[in-house]
Amino acid sequence: MSVAMNEGSAPGAAAVRDETPLRRFISDFCESKIAIAGVLGVLLIAIIAIFAPWLSPTNPYDLATVDIMDSRLSPGKQMMSGVTAFLGTDGMGRDMLSAMFYGLRISLGVGVASGFVALCIGVCVGLAAAYFGGRVDMLIMRVVDLQLSFPAILIALILLATLGKGVDKIVIALIVVQWAYFARTVRATAMVERHKEYIEAATCLALSHRRIVFRHLLPNCLPPLIVVGTVQVASAIALEATLSFLGIGLPVTEPSLGLLISNGFEYMLSGKYWISIYPGLALLFTIVSINLVGDRLRDVLNPRLQR
Amino acid sequence: MKNIFTALVAGAALMAASGAVAQEIRIGIAQEPSSIDPHFHNLGPNNGFLSHIYERMVEQDSKQRLRPGLAVSWKPISETVWEFKLRKGVKWHDGSPFTADDVVFTAERAVNVPNSPSSFGTYLKGKTFTKIDDYTVHVSTPKPYPLMVTEMSTIMIISKKNAQGAQTKDFNLGPAAIGTGPYKFVKWQKGDVIEFARNDDYWGGRPKWSKVILKPISSAPTRVAALLAGDVDMIDGVPTADIETLKGNPKVKLSQGISNRVIYLHLDQKRDNSPFVTDKNGNPMDKNPLKDVRVRKAISKLINRPAIVEKVMEGIAIPAGQLVSETFFGNTPNLKPEAFDPAAAKKLLGEAGWGDGFGLTIHGPNNRYINDAKIAEAIAQMLTRGGIVTKVVTMPKNVYFKRASRGGPENSPEFSFILVGWGSGTGEASSPLKSLLTTYDKSKGHGASNRGRHSNPKMDALVVQALATVDDAKRKTLLQKATEVGIGEDQGIIPLHYQVNTWATRPGLRYDARTDERTLAMDIKVVK
Repeated sequence: MSVAMNEGSAPGAAAVRDETPLRRFISDFCESKIAIAGVLGVLLIAIIAIFAPWLSPTNPYDLATVDIMDSRLSPGKQMMSGVTAFLGTDGMGRDMLSAMFYGLRISLGVGVASGFVALCIGVCVGLAAAYFGGRVDMLIMRVVDLQLSFPAILIALILLATLGKGVDKIVIALIVVQWAYFARTVRATAMVERHKEYIEAATCLALSHRRIVFRHLLPNCLPPLIVVGTVQVASAIALEATLSFLGIGLPVTEPSLGLLISNGFEYMLSGKYWISIYPGLALLFTIVSINLVGDRLRDVLNPRLQR
Repeated sequence: MKNIFTALVAGAALMAASGAVAQEIRIGIAQEPSSIDPHFHNLGPNNGFLSHIYERMVEQDSKQRLRPGLAVSWKPISETVWEFKLRKGVKWHDGSPFTADDVVFTAERAVNVPNSPSSFGTYLKGKTFTKIDDYTVHVSTPKPYPLMVTEMSTIMIISKKNAQGAQTKDFNLGPAAIGTGPYKFVKWQKGDVIEFARNDDYWGGRPKWSKVILKPISSAPTRVAALLAGDVDMIDGVPTADIETLKGNPKVKLSQGISNRVIYLHLDQKRDNSPFVTDKNGNPMDKNPLKDVRVRKAISKLINRPAIVEKVMEGIAIPAGQLVSETFFGNTPNLKPEAFDPAAAKKLLGEAGWGDGFGLTIHGPNNRYINDAKIAEAIAQMLTRGGIVTKVVTMPKNVYFKRASRGGPENSPEFSFILVGWGSGTGEASSPLKSLLTTYDKSKGHGASNRGRHSNPKMDALVVQALATVDDAKRKTLLQKATEVGIGEDQGIIPLHYQVNTWATRPGLRYDARTDERTLAMDIKVVK
């Protein structure tokens, strides 16, 4: 019986043929064309979000340049400043295209930042629960159960009502809402891994708890975490959009996608479709792209689905 | 033969049933009242919807002209005493008779409602009510008081028998909510429904609708959708964005009219270190530019009112240069809406020593006035372009008004620069002058809503003199002068526009627009 001491790769992907686990993973992933489309979509969104200030025709958050006289222009009309509004303007005279680029920046930024911090917290807590077991496990998992039994939107609403407005407050609310999912996932995987021989071996070598948990246990719990992480980023973006749509969270002069949709909702019955449809499509595209990547990751990283 | 008979009976039953349904009216309302207690909160929706239950001695028609209510006649019997003759044969909803005792009781109770966010004391302080006989009341004041009758049209009369010792919650739950009006209070489920039932013994004749259901629907597009879907028969607060489209829709009838409400800005003129006035980078300053009249004038000149009306209000509003529009008593022909003039504004700011600009935060509600949050945002755009870097913070009205009136230290106003509206409950200029511009003095009931704490003794004197002048022409001149000082010279507040309200009904109904913005079921008429 051999003891697997390979660090940083999944046991199922242990080298059989002459290829690295990463290469195998990539070739598996690329078998699905729709997943590749998802990756391209995510890349496109990431580029737009990062380079929004340089890609946007105007700065929609600079009140000195946004002009109320431009309000509700239909797509393709020219604004007072001479710039063409390809997707029209909203009720305050913001160029929709620019507003969407900046909105994506906020949405994606908030989603990724809150997802990452929640993942770190969730992983530490979940691993602690699985590794130490007993009362620690009990206590932690009951807190997780309690947290998961409340609807996410309710917790976020209460938090924002007490914390007030601002991007930082939204990120905090989303972290509080999300960490429990990661904790639960990582604990389940770690519980299985904990009883495997390589952990026993590591324990016999009298390695420190920290080393066992982070160098041996954690790498083997990563695959499901990556999947949950991707899906959670998408759901964080959707939740942020919901909160903005409800008018809490972000200042009105710096709209994210949800607030843009909400602003446009007022004009739905009067035929000014572009104010909410385009940000809506952008949100849809973002979430679908991320979820496609997440789904494919799940398929590829799940040993049971391997042919 | 028997079959035909059954069919006839069934048909008759059906018609009877549909007749009963037709007598029920469902109204989708934009603003829910904050209480069923008529003296808890001097607030537009309360004063409007509670008129179904309670009545006043003097009532106002749709143009705010006075007409007899629970009093049939009134006259001054000396310089300082007014006599009101009460209507005989009026019964409370519980069947007991209405008398002068109820009026005297109401006047005592209405000024002393605990936790009132906005008290009726402003209309009652300084007046003494005396019962002469069961149907005669004398009201005396220390000085001649020509606005007596007008102010009596703001106080809803409650029943002494049912409301003695009652708290606001006793009204909200029902036991004390006994009036003389055309409808009886049935229930209020906050955020969901308010229900009234017909008062069959109403002195003014049996009301048309057997049941009135008010559905608070705060989201404007949802309200319109509810009307189009037939869930409600009528809505108020038709959103400006939809009016153009609804005009062409045969399923909807619109009615529109200017209101007594001016939308305006308060500027902090008291504190030297006003918390929301900063330098351009957002750092606090120990000097408050808003105290300088030239800065206030410059801000007014930086605001493009026609642009707000055209682009934010979609043409459904009228630019304002003073407190009440042209049709109201006390409007002065000498004040026009300030013209948009960035060059002159820049010059004024330079003269005042603020040529480099400064920073400001505008606070406003986001669910009280028509397009309120958008107006605040448009103003921020305009000021920022003029060098005054402006941030926008909007919040729901229940949080906003508390903080705007007394969120600061020692219950002082919290904000520095705010967007608000004022509807003249009396239908003339003294109400806004007294509440918004006279020096804040709680004991006199002056400056009750003066959230910028503007103060000019010259204007105060004019207002006090006007309030004691019986001669209409002279009083009008004094009110006009006071407005010219308070707004023309001092720019104590910055008027933006007069609100124009729109109602929509299903075909077959008609509602005439009211200047006081009220939505009243008894005024909904059936048309062929």
